[in-house]
Amino acid sequence: MTTTFVDVDVRPTLRAGGEPFGEIMAAVNTLPPGQGLRLLATFKPVPLFSVLGSKGYTHEEREIGGGDWEVLFAPPGSASNAPDAPAPAASVADTGEWPEPAREMDNRDLDPPEPMVRILAATEQMQQGEVLSALLCREPMFLLPELAKRGHGWRGGFEEDGTTYRIRIRIGGATEAAQ
Amino acid sequence: MPGVTLSRWTMSYFALALLCLMGALALMAGGFGYPAAEIAAPQTLLLVHLIALGWLSLLLCGALFQFVPVLIARPLHSDSLPLPTLVCLTSGLLLLLCGFLHLAGWPGPRGVLPLGGALLVLGFALAIHNLARTMWAAPAIGLPARFVAVGLACLGATALLGFVFTLFFGGVSSAPLVAALTVEGLPLHAVAGIGGWLTFTAMGVSYRLLAMFMLAPELEGRSTKAALWLGAAALTTVIVGGVAAIALGYGPDWALVAGSLLGLAALGLYGRDIARLYRARKRRVIELNSRMAGVALAHLAATAALAVVLIATGTLGRHVGALVFLAAFGWLTGLGLAKLYKIVAFLTWLECYGPVLGKVETPRVQDLVAEPKAAPWFWLYFAATDFVVLMLLAEAPGLARIGAAAMLLAVGAVVHQLWRIRRLADVRQAARLPQGVSRPHVLILTVPQA
Repeated sequence: MTTTFVDVDVRPTLRAGGEPFGEIMAAVNTLPPGQGLRLLATFKPVPLFSVLGSKGYTHEEREIGGGDWEVLFAPPGSASNAPDAPAPAASVADTGEWPEPAREMDNRDLDPPEPMVRILAATEQMQQGEVLSALLCREPMFLLPELAKRGHGWRGGFEEDGTTYRIRIRIGGATEAAQ
Repeated sequence: MPGVTLSRWTMSYFALALLCLMGALALMAGGFGYPAAEIAAPQTLLLVHLIALGWLSLLLCGALFQFVPVLIARPLHSDSLPLPTLVCLTSGLLLLLCGFLHLAGWPGPRGVLPLGGALLVLGFALAIHNLARTMWAAPAIGLPARFVAVGLACLGATALLGFVFTLFFGGVSSAPLVAALTVEGLPLHAVAGIGGWLTFTAMGVSYRLLAMFMLAPELEGRSTKAALWLGAAALTTVIVGGVAAIALGYGPDWALVAGSLLGLAALGLYGRDIARLYRARKRRVIELNSRMAGVALAHLAATAALAVVLIATGTLGRHVGALVFLAAFGWLTGLGLAKLYKIVAFLTWLECYGPVLGKVETPRVQDLVAEPKAAPWFWLYFAATDFVVLMLLAEAPGLARIGAAAMLLAVGAVVHQLWRIRRLADVRQAARLPQGVSRPHVLILTVPQA
């Protein structure tokens, strides 16, 4: 299958000091199945790799001169979305399908660090291979190293509203993928 | 490893910083430097730098190494640089203080002042490098981190101006520009340091920390952006405009006046933002640290108001000591102590109980603190600070020194509370050390390995 790419050039927005995240996510959400995104930016947009990676996109980036970058985001299941492609959104190279979440939690209204406490408590009660999905109001920076230490896989990113962060955690996922 | 881990030396920065704060208050109460001595006396210079570098800058550097990564969701560029940075800063500070003693007539080599200045420049350059590279790696940084970036630029300017002064006083250079900057550049050095580095950085961090701890929505709107731009314009006007004016042979006065007006506008917008943040919080009952941060913010407003009154009445020159004291202790130290009370508890909790969360029953962060015991000391601290400011305005240095002693007592008690937090002393004994948890080292954070 040949992937076609829709161009999104956020360089003017960035040069004007704007925040291009909404623009990019709006473009991603209108992509028909099988179509990819060609992004032009004034820097290497590393966090986007994880946000779109959580949606199954893989990426190839290259510097195109003048400090600008071109990134090709290939949709899930496309030819360029090779199985050995890295998925930086996740804790390890794990691009396979994950099962539906066995547990969901909304932790957006909890005082920090209560969201982390509840997530870790839940992961201890769940079975190997099960997935936990949680909504948070920011990227859980202190939780991620703890998940890595405990051998869980995770995929996370901001939702389209730009303020809700959804993390999915697969119990023992890191160990599984590494095998 | 993804995410943010603990910054190993943060507690050491905090401990040294608190030591400097207590040392400075003890000197002040004991009659060394201002208010017992003149404001321009070398003893006062020693005191001012013990507070600005030893206490506030070490505190802020330690906090930034831990929280800049949280602000921009990227790991710190280097985890090994904070220790050499700390060594450069503390040795530079010690030499600088010796240099000031030498200026006051104590025996010693003349070269220690520029040597101390150079070490401080090196230490701050390492800190700026580490934090700037961290931010540089992030594709887009939010508004709080942009405040920090401006603050770091001001830190660079402050350190360089200070270094120029040490070259002149240390007898290394008396080139016309060095002499002119030393004679006329002191207000620029003070504004870049207190207004730019310390205040602007604290403003940026407070946007995020207050929102986080009170469950308020993050402010990224127009007034926050305007506060950032107006503040950055104010600081550029004072620092760049002021240095250019001195180099061209004009005084820096116009730059100071223009910068103050822009700065007041930025502070007004910041004040409105923060008031909105407190009102929009989802958490109705807020913790002691957020309440005390509120008192510190009120002191920032009081500082701005006092500055306006002193300028309007033409008495700024006479009362500049009281104004700087209010900014340094009512606002910056007040905010620093309030946030330390939360940060130390949070980092200690994460260090001790993070690895076993969910596996065994663990205490909450709030179980590590004893707010009813700490609260009266915070109130004493602020009351004593206000008393000292009033006594300085009334030109009663003897009474001001008694106030400084009360501040020292209050800070000592808060430090004792922080010590208890590190020792887990207020956690119920049955819950204190569940299986797999050991008591933390007071000065060094144990960084878990993957």
